[in-house]
Amino acid sequence: MVKYILKRLLIAVPLIFGVLTLTFFIIRLAPGDPAAFFIQPGISPKVAEQIRAQYGLNDPLPVQYVKWLGNVLHGDFGRSFSRAQQPVLEVIAESLPVTMTIAILTLIANFAFGIVIGVISAVRQNTFLDRFLTVTALFFYSMPEFWFALMMIILFALKFPLFPVSGLNEVGAENYGTFGFVLDRIWHLALPVTVLSINGAAGIARYVRGSMLEVIRQDYIRTARAKGLSERAVILKHALRNALLPVVTLMGSSLPFIFSGALFIEVIFAFPGMGRVTVEAIFARDYPLIIANTFVSGALIVLGNLLSDVLYAVVDPRIKL
Amino acid sequence: MTKKSNNRIRPFLPLLLLALVTLLTACSKSNRKDGLSASAKDSTLVISMLADADYINPVIGASVTSANITGLIYPTLLQNEFDPETGLLNYVAMEKKLRPSSPKAIGRSPKSALARSWTMAPDHLSITYILRNDAKWDDGHPITSHDFKFAYRMYGNPVIASPRQQALAELVGADRGQVDFDKAIETPDDTTLIFRFFKPVPEYIALAHTSMTPIPEHIWKEVKPQEFRESKLNQKPIGAGTYRLQAWNKQQDLILTSNKSCILPKPGNIKRIMFRVVPDYTVRLGQLQTGDVDVVENIKPEDFVSLTKTNSSIDVKAIGLKVYDYVGWMNIDQDYFHKTGKFRPHPLFGSAAVRLALTHAIDRQAIIDGFLGDYGVLCNTDISPSLKWAYDDTIKPHAFDQSLAVKLLEKEGWLPGADGIRQKNGKRFSFTLYSNAGNPRRNYACVVIQQNLKEIGIDCKIEFQESNVFFENLHNRKIDAWMAGWSIGLEIDPMDVWGSDLEKSRFNFPGYINPRIDQLCNLAKSKMRPEEARSYWIEYQKILHNDQPITFLYWIKETQGFNKRIQGAELNIAGTFYNIDDWTLKPSPRVAP
Repeated sequence: MVKYILKRLLIAVPLIFGVLTLTFFIIRLAPGDPAAFFIQPGISPKVAEQIRAQYGLNDPLPVQYVKWLGNVLHGDFGRSFSRAQQPVLEVIAESLPVTMTIAILTLIANFAFGIVIGVISAVRQNTFLDRFLTVTALFFYSMPEFWFALMMIILFALKFPLFPVSGLNEVGAENYGTFGFVLDRIWHLALPVTVLSINGAAGIARYVRGSMLEVIRQDYIRTARAKGLSERAVILKHALRNALLPVVTLMGSSLPFIFSGALFIEVIFAFPGMGRVTVEAIFARDYPLIIANTFVSGALIVLGNLLSDVLYAVVDPRIKL
Repeated sequence: MTKKSNNRIRPFLPLLLLALVTLLTACSKSNRKDGLSASAKDSTLVISMLADADYINPVIGASVTSANITGLIYPTLLQNEFDPETGLLNYVAMEKKLRPSSPKAIGRSPKSALARSWTMAPDHLSITYILRNDAKWDDGHPITSHDFKFAYRMYGNPVIASPRQQALAELVGADRGQVDFDKAIETPDDTTLIFRFFKPVPEYIALAHTSMTPIPEHIWKEVKPQEFRESKLNQKPIGAGTYRLQAWNKQQDLILTSNKSCILPKPGNIKRIMFRVVPDYTVRLGQLQTGDVDVVENIKPEDFVSLTKTNSSIDVKAIGLKVYDYVGWMNIDQDYFHKTGKFRPHPLFGSAAVRLALTHAIDRQAIIDGFLGDYGVLCNTDISPSLKWAYDDTIKPHAFDQSLAVKLLEKEGWLPGADGIRQKNGKRFSFTLYSNAGNPRRNYACVVIQQNLKEIGIDCKIEFQESNVFFENLHNRKIDAWMAGWSIGLEIDPMDVWGSDLEKSRFNFPGYINPRIDQLCNLAKSKMRPEEARSYWIEYQKILHNDQPITFLYWIKETQGFNKRIQGAELNIAGTFYNIDDWTLKPSPRVAP
């Protein structure tokens, strides 16, 4: 398995480089100018030119590419154009933990709720409860996340002010002490994580239900029941474990979705995470930051896929890598 | 083994969930009830901002937010005073004023100026400042004339690429391409500062251009120009203003605390000012409603009613008029111009009569009534009614009169074709109106315009482009018709926008060419006092009104949402935070025992 993982990682390197190279050329060919902000009345026409020279944008494209490649191979992704020349890796180091926190919390909530709802609707198949859960799940599944987020804000932050509208912490949260600070942070994350996970959980619930229904009809389940095991033991021990096999692989592949969902959530709730950084970088034509973000999300997608393949082998002994 | 681990985890799961739920509810309760955040709030003013500040450095800071924050942290040579009566900007030193303050001007303490006084040379080739000798940077170093000279070197350094380098355009050497700082700025002693110009400069322009914010030389002199923008010093600015930077969490918030040692003029009234980044408009609005933030700029008129209804402690303040929208018509045949560099009229919009007809055909008042309500004013030219000293109030706006528009078009030879669209020599009057995506006001206006033009037999398609793409097309003069806007400066200087040399006047997107406009702008600039140029600006407005190089639509009042606990805020077109030093916060009734 170690060999397999290493092989996959090695293949990932040229793949990610290909993605970065494509991104490099596409963003430079797209209309728009990183120095556009400085082209306005009252600002000397020289400024835009000087700024472009500073960014190294006056060189021919192949020269820019070679320079960029050299820097990236040295681990230097450059400095952000739009964020006051901050090194882009620093920008990412600041924003990635925010997104990771949301992503991990969402992942946990996704699977926790998804599995519970899925199992209930499978066990109580075709009852009112099942139909209700199915319809509710589909209702949330088909709802656009950004709209849902705004509705949640209107409902739980404005009409019934239980949660904050935005931000990661209250004004003056630094003085709450570590425990208070973390509590405050969780309080601020409650709404966005709910929004992100309800959508995902609805999808997972459908998967779990389907796979559970398939398993429940198997002979060994009937055998287990015939043995006189309690229904609880049959469902949770014998059926669920096998039903979760296909679901586990979702864990890896749902990471990219959670990341793209975090993109809206971060803009709406004003979290300084990767999603917002990427959106703003694209609008500002901040080339180095766009490329570094592509790198991070590309790497995460590759790793997520690898993770789901490996997990598959781990949970199912029939599969050998 | 698996059995064991399963047994270990199972009881934990519900427990964990329960714990999480209790934590959440507990903490929401604790924050609602205890007075911790309330008392912190009473001394903290929270201002929402769309995007984070870029540099807290007067030399390179480019955004308005940065300028607002820099203005609170750094000292100024002169204090600006805006006079709403005339629309003129006054410059104030401790012991001298450019002109006497009008009674309506909201005075600010002249003690905030570093200059005691100044003398303009009779030949207008130099200006000499006498600085106060008791001002100190926050680290205790005295502020001297050398700090100014050093700062100007930074402003003028091409490697640093300051967006404010335009202010150095009159200094000695600038005419030859490079300012000669040793000759242009002299510092005979710590409190004397002399600027020399290569040509006579009117006093008000000299004051504007020589009163740029200084930076402390002793802190910055070791920093190489190529590292100026990257320098960590930008994160901890040393200033001397009413506030100091306490914390800056990038992309989240920026906190200023009142500077206790400030003598320019005194420490800020409000203990803490927090600038909070909230990129989404709906959320900014929500935070204003819940009281999480105190100031939200640019509230859309359609939100006023719901905003003030849900929370009676919110006030909407309007400032204006500084911003206008217009429909641009390409005056010249741009393809021919790009190919040959020569001019010939645009096949559709080349004639002033056609453009006038288009203005008459557009129901500008309907756009105002439909979208802006009381916060829009018909626009005649780009001289704002707020600049009363130059504004011509005798000009009558072109009326919405479609029959007149039709008459004008038919006189020009645009007659209805078989398909109902007007034609001239086989050319249909059909074009695409471009604008930037994501601006509901322009979106609305475009639809009204399309409808109005259809009524007189003109086919107008609408296309919204991503802002970067749209402005690039505009700058390269690639599109025939567009809707955009301008925000005007407090000084009238329209050469960039209307000058006949299209290479130099980069913002003359429509390619409007009228040598008389160039003449008038130059004549006005040569006057030593702005008021003396009034007659030129009157003629200028008449010409633009008749030629309609573009269709001026409406001036927009900027509307800022304020929590009423802010007291003493005076807003004007010089800025929302014009007198923020003098604001106070009314304590919330909640804290009273």
